[in-house]
This record gives sequence, C-alpha cells and structure tokens, in this order.
Amino acid sequence: MKINIYDRVRASVQGYIEKVTEPRVMHRRNRKIKEISGAVLRYVFLIGLCFVILFPTIQQILMALRAPQDVNNPAVVWIPENWSILNIELSMMVLDYWDALLNTFKLSFVAMILQLASTALAGYAFSRLRFKGSNILFILVILTIVIPPQALSLAQYLYFRDLKLIGKEGAIYLMSGLGMGIRSGIFIYIFRQFFRGLPKELEESAMIDGASVFRTFWNVMLPNARGAMVTVGLFAFVWQWNDAYFVKIFEVSTASFPLLTMRLINAAENVYAALFYAGALNLVGQDIWENPLFLALISNVSALLMMLPLLFMYLFVQKGFVESIERTGIVG
Amino acid sequence: MMKIRKKDNSAYSKPDQKRRLELSYKNQKRVWAAIFLAPWVIGFVTLFLVPLIQSFLYSFYQLTPQVGQITQTFIGFDNYVYAFNTHVTQTSSFKVELLNTTGDSLINLPVLLIFSLFIAVLLNMKFRGRAAIRAIFFIPVILNSAAVATALGGGEAIAAILEQSGIDKIFDLEFYLMQTGMTPILVTFIVGLITRIYDILALAGVPILLFLASIQSVPKHLYEAAKIEGATSYEMFWLITLPNVSPHIVTVTVYALVDTFLTSPVSGIISDELNRQQWGLSSAMAWIYVGTILVMLGSLAVLAKGLKIGGSHYEN
Repeated sequence: MKINIYDRVRASVQGYIEKVTEPRVMHRRNRKIKEISGAVLRYVFLIGLCFVILFPTIQQILMALRAPQDVNNPAVVWIPENWSILNIELSMMVLDYWDALLNTFKLSFVAMILQLASTALAGYAFSRLRFKGSNILFILVILTIVIPPQALSLAQYLYFRDLKLIGKEGAIYLMSGLGMGIRSGIFIYIFRQFFRGLPKELEESAMIDGASVFRTFWNVMLPNARGAMVTVGLFAFVWQWNDAYFVKIFEVSTASFPLLTMRLINAAENVYAALFYAGALNLVGQDIWENPLFLALISNVSALLMMLPLLFMYLFVQKGFVESIERTGIVG
Repeated sequence: MMKIRKKDNSAYSKPDQKRRLELSYKNQKRVWAAIFLAPWVIGFVTLFLVPLIQSFLYSFYQLTPQVGQITQTFIGFDNYVYAFNTHVTQTSSFKVELLNTTGDSLINLPVLLIFSLFIAVLLNMKFRGRAAIRAIFFIPVILNSAAVATALGGGEAIAAILEQSGIDKIFDLEFYLMQTGMTPILVTFIVGLITRIYDILALAGVPILLFLASIQSVPKHLYEAAKIEGATSYEMFWLITLPNVSPHIVTVTVYALVDTFLTSPVSGIISDELNRQQWGLSSAMAWIYVGTILVMLGSLAVLAKGLKIGGSHYEN
C-alpha cells in the first residue's frame, strides 16, 4: 500500500512537472512575465519623467507659500512652517497682475483667432486647392520657418512705424492675421498635413451634392479638422502668451497696456526697484527686503504667477488636446 | 447656393453637361485658392520678403540713427568680418556661441530624435492613466518661455535657497555612480544627460507630438496582418512603425534644428545687438545664422537622401 501511494504521488508530481514544462504553457507563461515586466518598466520610466516635469513646479508653489521671514529658515524644507500668501500678493503688485493678465489674455486670444484663420485657409489651399506653382509657394512657407525673426525685425519696425502701429497691439494682430505671426509657418505646415490626410471622398461627395468650394471647406472639411484646430490654437495661444520678443520690438507693453511677459522681465532684471515702484517695500520689514534670497523668491513667484493661468487653462483644454492628437492621426 | 444646385440637377439629367460643370468646379477651386492664399501672400510679400531683402542690404551698411531718420554708409563686408573676428560680449563672443550652438545641435539632434520617437511609441501604447501622463508630457511645451527662464535665472535662486536648507539634491547621483567604480568620463556624461533631462523634455514636446500624430497615421491593418503572421512588437516597430514614420523625421529635424537655434545664445546676441541699435551688425549676424542653418539643413537633406530616409516607404 505504502509503495503504491508513493508511486502515485511521484506519478502526479511528474505529471505536473511535465505539464508545466510543456512548451505551450512555458511559452504562455514567459510571454505573460515579459508583458508584466514590460508594463512595470514602462510605468517606472514614464512616471519618473513625469516626476521630473512636475517637480520644479510643485517646489515653486510650496516656496511661494512660505512666509517671507522663513525664506532661509533651514528648518523649512518642503512644507512651509508659516503659511502665507504675502509673497504672492507682493508679486501681484510688482506685475500689475490683474491688468496685465487681462491684457495678455486678450492679446493672446485675438492673435490666436487670427492665426487660426489665416493659417487654416493657407494650409487648406496648399493641400486641397492645388494649382501650378503651389509647391514653389510652399517652399517659401518653409523659408519663413527657417529665417529667424531677428533678420526681419528692423525693417518690420520701420514699416509699422510708418503705419503708426508701434506701441499698439495692432502690430501683433496684423502679423497674425497675415500669416506672419509667431511660427505661423509651422501652423500652415500642420494644417496642410492634416487636410491632405482627409479622405478625398469627403470633398467629392460634397461637390456632387452641390456645395461650393468655400462651403465644402467650411461645412465639411473644417469640422473634420477639429484636431488640427485644437493643436494649432493651443500653440498659437501659448506662444503668444509667452512671447517676449515681438512684444518688446514693437513696444506693445506700455504703462496703460501692461503685458505679463514684459512686466516679468522688467521685474526679474531688478526686483528691488520693481518692489520699490510698486510700493511693496513697506509691507515687509527692512531685514526681509535686504535679503537677496527674498528678492529671488519674489522673482520666482512672479514667474509662477505668469505660468499658473496657462497651466490652469491647459487643465481644461487638455482632454480635447490629447484627444486631438488621436484624431490628428489621420495625417498622411 | 440655389444657382449651383440648379446646375447640378441639369448635370444629372444631361450627362454631356457634366464635363462643363467639372471644369467650372476646377476654375472655382482656382479662384478660391487665390482668395484663401491672399492674406498669406500679402503678409509674405510685405512682412517677410521686403524686410528680408532690406535686412540683406542693411548687412552691408553702417546704420546710425539720427533724429527721425537713419543714415546709411556702405561698408561692404565689414559687418560680417566684425561679427566673426572682433565681436565680443561680456562673457562670450558671437563666433564662440555660433560654433557651440552648431556643435551642440549636431550632438543633441540625434538624442532628441531618438528620445522623442521612443517616448511617442511609449505614449502610443495602451495602458492605464495614459491620458494623464500624456497631458503631463506637454506641460514643458507650455511653460517653455524666455521670460520665465529669465525670472527663474535657470532655477539658481531656488537652488540657492534649497542649498541653504541642506538639500540641494535629492540624492547625489554623481557620488553613487563614482562608488560603483565607473570611469569618470562616463559618470559626467550620464550626470550631464540627467541634469539636462528637463531641457531635453522641454525641447522634445513638439517633436513627440509630431511623432505621435504620425505613428497614429500608420494604417492599422499593417499591424493586424503582422500580428497574424506572429510578429513580435519589436519586429513591428522596426518593420512597420519606423519606415512609416521616417518621412516625418525630416519635419521633426527641421523643427528641432530651427528651435535649437532660435532659443540659443546666438539668437540672444543678435537681439542684444538689435536693441543696442547696431542694426547693420545684427543683420549681418542674422544672415550668418541663416546661412549656418541652411548649410546644416542642406547637408542633412543630402544625408537623408543618401540613407533614403524621408521618402515614403509604402506608396500611399
């Protein structure tokens, strides 16, 4: 009897081993292990990079919420000991925040609309309304991408001076509306790629149904190009928001029309003077405003204040933007 | 609208009129092409072409601002010679920065291309939390601003504050790597790469986007067929994804190159000279800069043609 049981156990163990080492099961198991380890690696890598991206911003926000007297308190590392929004208030005064924010928003928004209009039309013409020489014209679009704005600035400045547009937002609008705004060339490129990828049948069926060329563009092609619109719109808005070059050259930012970027650059160049002119020095003691680290902190908080609205808006359009990448997928 | 619809009906009833309609549609297209392109063409001629030619002329002149006007003196190639031989700033010079930027971009370009393609492939996979991770990856594109960079002073201020608190680094990577007995050159390379990872991420935002869009444009049936044939995802990447994405490598290269130069110190020096009203000099510098980019693009184009990158793999 004993031997019998022993034999049976051995047989079942052997059977199990054979079953496990059977090539098909091994293969399946190996693949599963590979899949899981691949997923883990991917997550570690991506989450690590996300951390690198988010880390400075989180750090800055925590810094901004420190009370000014704690700036170089070695006991405070991450979580502020005394929470305070004084830094933020001071930075807002320095930046002339609400006015500048409103103006920047308006400038970026109008420029975005104009950029969208001019580049979408041009991109559509280059992809769908081809004619003799349209390829040569498109090479010129590439040229506008390559030439740096510095090469053109002086002549443009003189040109706008004759039009009496220096010191006015109109200069930026004119550039955007005529497809020569910030990186318009790239936008035209994106739109051309996108429209080229839309199926020909769309256009043909619209034509057979009797739609005019413009109607085809407006009612058929453009709604299908939402993805490209969102991408280009986001970039146009953000780049205009962050632009310090054109705004400086055309002297758009004035005392009555302050813009965030220029206020920020001025403030960063001399934080003390900026605080002084904003009348913010009285709000903190001398021992604090004499501390260079405090001045650096104010400059940092100002930068944060400029970025935060963008981040906030991005949170809202983010879904559409990320999805738009999916839809831009039809790009040919 | 009504008119066209009527035309259309007649086209259905009389087939011989169809051709005329097509022709008129073609003409209609031409007219609309002209209308659609009009703003761009006007902008191109007035705001690009004329300034471009003018700046080319300026680069041969000494321009001095007078009250209400600018006096020009022709000085030939002096501006170019000056930019190359005698120009210095407080910490650097035009020539040095130009050479540095050219060298850096040649080293960075391949890293950037491979990195962004890799990330795009990763972000294209299906996994949980993909939307959130994608959203985070494009944050650097949004925050990449010259003004913010100035205000942060390259993050030095924050670093200084943290250093006082005793945690300037989360952990000392260099120290650990040295402990493992790696050669110092390798350690500095890795540490350099990691400290620059934020910059690379910021530069890679748009390339990742372009690659992601192009990967999604690859016909799905190719992958299905490959899967049925039992191809691994590794093989699918090399034989399907890469060949299909390669036309876009050219686009990304052009973008990355232009972007690197646009955000480089060279560009800063040109702006500074422009602001100091050294117009002739800044024009000359801008033309040297354009020349450099065009030469680089040209040689890359020759290289791409030689390696047969950029041509469509499958005839679409």
